Amino acid sequence: MSARLRVDWPACRAAGLCHELLPQLVGLDEWGYPVITGPVDDDTLREARAAAKACPRMALRVVEDAQPAASRSATASPKRA
Amino acid sequence: MTSPSPSPVPCSDRPVVRPGPFLLAGVPDGPGLEAHRRRWGALPEANVLTAEDLALRCEAVALGGRGGARFPFATKLRTVAGARRRPAVVVNGSEGEPASAKDAALLRHVPHLVLDGAAAAARALGAREVHVVLPGDRPLVAATVREALAERHDHRLRWRTSTASPRFVAGQSRAVLELLAGRENLPVTAWAPDAVSGLDRRPTLLSNAETWAHVGALALAGAAAYSRFGSADEPGTTLLSLGVGTEPPHVHEVEHGAPLADLVPTALRGEPVLVGGFHGTWVPWETVARATVSPRHLTELGAPLGAGVMHLPTPGACPLELTVRIVGYLAAESAGRCGPCVNGLPALAEAVHGLALGRPGARTRVEQLVGLLPGRGACAHPDGTVRLVRSTMVALAAEVDAHEHGSCRRLRVAS
Repeated sequence: MSARLRVDWPACRAAGLCHELLPQLVGLDEWGYPVITGPVDDDTLREARAAAKACPRMALRVVEDAQPAASRSATASPKRA
Repeated sequence: MTSPSPSPVPCSDRPVVRPGPFLLAGVPDGPGLEAHRRRWGALPEANVLTAEDLALRCEAVALGGRGGARFPFATKLRTVAGARRRPAVVVNGSEGEPASAKDAALLRHVPHLVLDGAAAAARALGAREVHVVLPGDRPLVAATVREALAERHDHRLRWRTSTASPRFVAGQSRAVLELLAGRENLPVTAWAPDAVSGLDRRPTLLSNAETWAHVGALALAGAAAYSRFGSADEPGTTLLSLGVGTEPPHVHEVEHGAPLADLVPTALRGEPVLVGGFHGTWVPWETVARATVSPRHLTELGAPLGAGVMHLPTPGACPLELTVRIVGYLAAESAGRCGPCVNGLPALAEAVHGLALGRPGARTRVEQLVGLLPGRGACAHPDGTVRLVRSTMVALAAEVDAHEHGSCRRLRVAS
């Protein structure tokens, strides 16, 4: 299975729990916001799910990478439709 | 909301529009429905033009979305057509980027071509409503669209209009869906593509005005007529907003494959060109001189055409100074919701300003921030801003050096 962490950026308030619980996959920038440093693999899946569950803003998700091709348009630039 | 850093290019309600070979051929006829029907004929009924027929036509000409990402329209259309729930259709006419005026040009001069595209798709998909999002800061455009809608009698189809906030990020697709859902017109995190789960979680076909105009032309005239223009690989035309300094942009409809340099006024040949708008790329003149208006070729050159903006500084003005003002404006236009954007863009604007002032350490700070910010927001506003700054460090390296040594002799005029 291939999975990765996704942050709901407007919801994140830089509590930093994700970094405390999962330092191997989550760093923090100078303002305290998460920096995802790698994909989730079988070894880290349990901890990643626990970190997502612990976020007080529910701003962290573990998403599986089997998405339809059209998904790439979801992150298009502002103004871009 | 007034921005503390206004756009260096004012938002234009009255772009200068050149009649074009295809989509803009009807400009001299005026924006009325009767003239539009005389030129293009009647729109085929849904039993004649099904969603798959329309997808095949879009596929035959490799139609990519003209909001910037160039995502294949046929793929989006088929995703929506294949869903179980009744879909929503949205015409995004908000055009939040001040340097862009091509959607404004289409909606002001040939609104029925845009509306026909959306009507053809809505009928084929069995949608009952089409949402038209009007630009909040271009009142003449909004008025023309309202007049055009009042002229139409589309069987079993209702048109609904909304007005976007006058800000840069308001036109982003999720921000538009938020507006239509009655919430603030700002980007939110997309967990699924619009085509799968958009407005009211329904499959949603949302495209900007230019994309819909191309769909309209394909529905009305067919893929063969469309392919009389452009190149074999990339049929058809594209709309470009060409701006110089603070003048209102000129909108051109150009065939794919045409030399890019032909669009640049003689006095400015030799200067770097900002391709793709405020989220775009500075391109050195040597590259512009050998490039063609080909979305594929320009992407390969590292200068995606984006929403079709080409901008040049006022003759004699320093392009780095213009970049400082653009990045300052983009930082001020952050929706203020995502931490890395609300903190990172002002820091980046400060660092780029530092480059222009020749401050020690500015270059290192810029390089650190451009590595830190991309991919960390609900929308790609930070990514686009970083693209501009990265290209500045490469294409404007000579200017950056000159500023570092305090030896830039160019004008520091408005832009």
